[in-house]
Amino acid sequence: MLNLTLLAVESGQILAAGSSDDDSGGLGLVFLLSGFVFYSAIYFRYRNTDKRHGHESETEATMVNMQEHDEFVKARKGLSNRRMSGANNTAVRGASNKFSAGIMSKFKL
Amino acid sequence: MPMDAVEPDTPPPAATDDAPRVINTDDGAKDGLAKCARCGATEISLNVATGNLRCGFCRFEWSTDNAIEAFNLNGDISALAGLLVGSGSSDIVPSTEEILTFKCSACGAEVVIDTNTSTQARCHWCRNTLSMNQQVPNGAVPDMILPFKVEKSTAVEKIAHFVGKRKFFAHPTFRAEFNAENVMGVYLPYMVVDINAHAKLSGQGEHQTRSYTVKVGDSTQQRYDADLYNVAREFDIHVNDLTVESSSDRLDQNTAVNSNNIINTIMPFDVENSVRYDSNYLAGFTSERRDSNLDQLAPLAHTQAEDITRHRVNDTLKFYDRGVRWAAEEVDVRGQRWVSAYLPVWLYSYQQRKSNGKTFLHYVAVNARTGETMGSIPLHQSKLLLVSGIVQLVGTVIGLVLVAVGI
Ligand SMILES: [Zn+2]
Ligand SMILES: [Zn+2]
Repeated sequence: MLNLTLLAVESGQILAAGSSDDDSGGLGLVFLLSGFVFYSAIYFRYRNTDKRHGHESETEATMVNMQEHDEFVKARKGLSNRRMSGANNTAVRGASNKFSAGIMSKFKL
Repeated sequence: MPMDAVEPDTPPPAATDDAPRVINTDDGAKDGLAKCARCGATEISLNVATGNLRCGFCRFEWSTDNAIEAFNLNGDISALAGLLVGSGSSDIVPSTEEILTFKCSACGAEVVIDTNTSTQARCHWCRNTLSMNQQVPNGAVPDMILPFKVEKSTAVEKIAHFVGKRKFFAHPTFRAEFNAENVMGVYLPYMVVDINAHAKLSGQGEHQTRSYTVKVGDSTQQRYDADLYNVAREFDIHVNDLTVESSSDRLDQNTAVNSNNIINTIMPFDVENSVRYDSNYLAGFTSERRDSNLDQLAPLAHTQAEDITRHRVNDTLKFYDRGVRWAAEEVDVRGQRWVSAYLPVWLYSYQQRKSNGKTFLHYVAVNARTGETMGSIPLHQSKLLLVSGIVQLVGTVIGLVLVAVGI
């Protein structure tokens, strides 16, 4: 059952990736996977297995004595991804609910 | 009363500042009959409406000291160095009894307190309430407690509302058996941590300079230009009231076998309003004993502190709209303060008996301070699969048409 959900989630990601980079055929694909998408939407709405406390943003913290260093390296042309490859500045590693952390990080890609 | 082994048998401390300094949080705490100052009755409980303790006989009300002020837990985090630990957060000594026996000073009978579910019990003979407020190293008496603020009636409403919006695909047995009135008020064990750390992050970031489309064969594709930078940030970070579960059961959040993630989700609590521990806050509620020590919880708390650091520093990285790839992250914890707390949760639990003979415990939980509500509802799998199948059938037809037309 969980596998089915994961499959649905994975397919959702394929969809998201497919539709953001390239518009053609995206809508058709959505319909071809509509059963999975529907199943996972209901599953998460009832079971909330993807939910957790957002400790990384909901905990009070202050930064002081900030030293910043920013140095231009080079200009890059013709990149096909909207996000920097390997960007990890929104990573979450300390979630007790590993399942949710996994999904969230994949969706943020 | 086993009050001996409070101090662990450690060798004389070496000349390092590794040895934790202890904040004594049970000064003046007494076990036994806690009497109303006005009439002497022991029928004392929390008045959820006012947050005060109230005598059940003469209605006299009084408040307890705010724990943060009493123990100076709001002290400047930047001045935190080494390890500072509340005496109620000390390591659990495995030989310490969980079931403790007290002598009732009103009638002389022996009264048993099962610290797994409360730190109070009623004397069967004279009906007086006996409290345990002194800390013994079994994790039962924490440094502080955050009293219930959300009334039971409000919690019942919130749970009924949450479930009401999830009825259609809910399991029929659950629908028949659900009754929000069965909600229980429970104090769950947590550790509240302040951290003073020095952070050093370095890597590369990208700033988008142009976005355009190119023709590839028949289709058009999106392309981006970006400037690449070397990025470094060095700063001190003060994390306030980071809160982690301190029961090994609750820390296990494998959603395939339990729904503890539901209870995790209703955080945060306003822990700054916690008060000095007094067992009378437990009257009418139950509690769960802490069973995890600082050593077991520190790795999790430190990883979470790193997450907080990584997310907070994004405030200074807005220029890098394509993201930053950190190659090195150092979060050096220079000072930390740990106190244990009981935090209040309204918990509706439902044991689902599955067809394979296994059971699964579902929770609907309400944060008894903020009212935040989350839950897990057992699904009617066959119904959901059937409807998903129908959706799939219809979707396939439409999808094939759309693909054929080339939309
Ligand atoms: Zn009284
Ligand atoms: Zn008695």
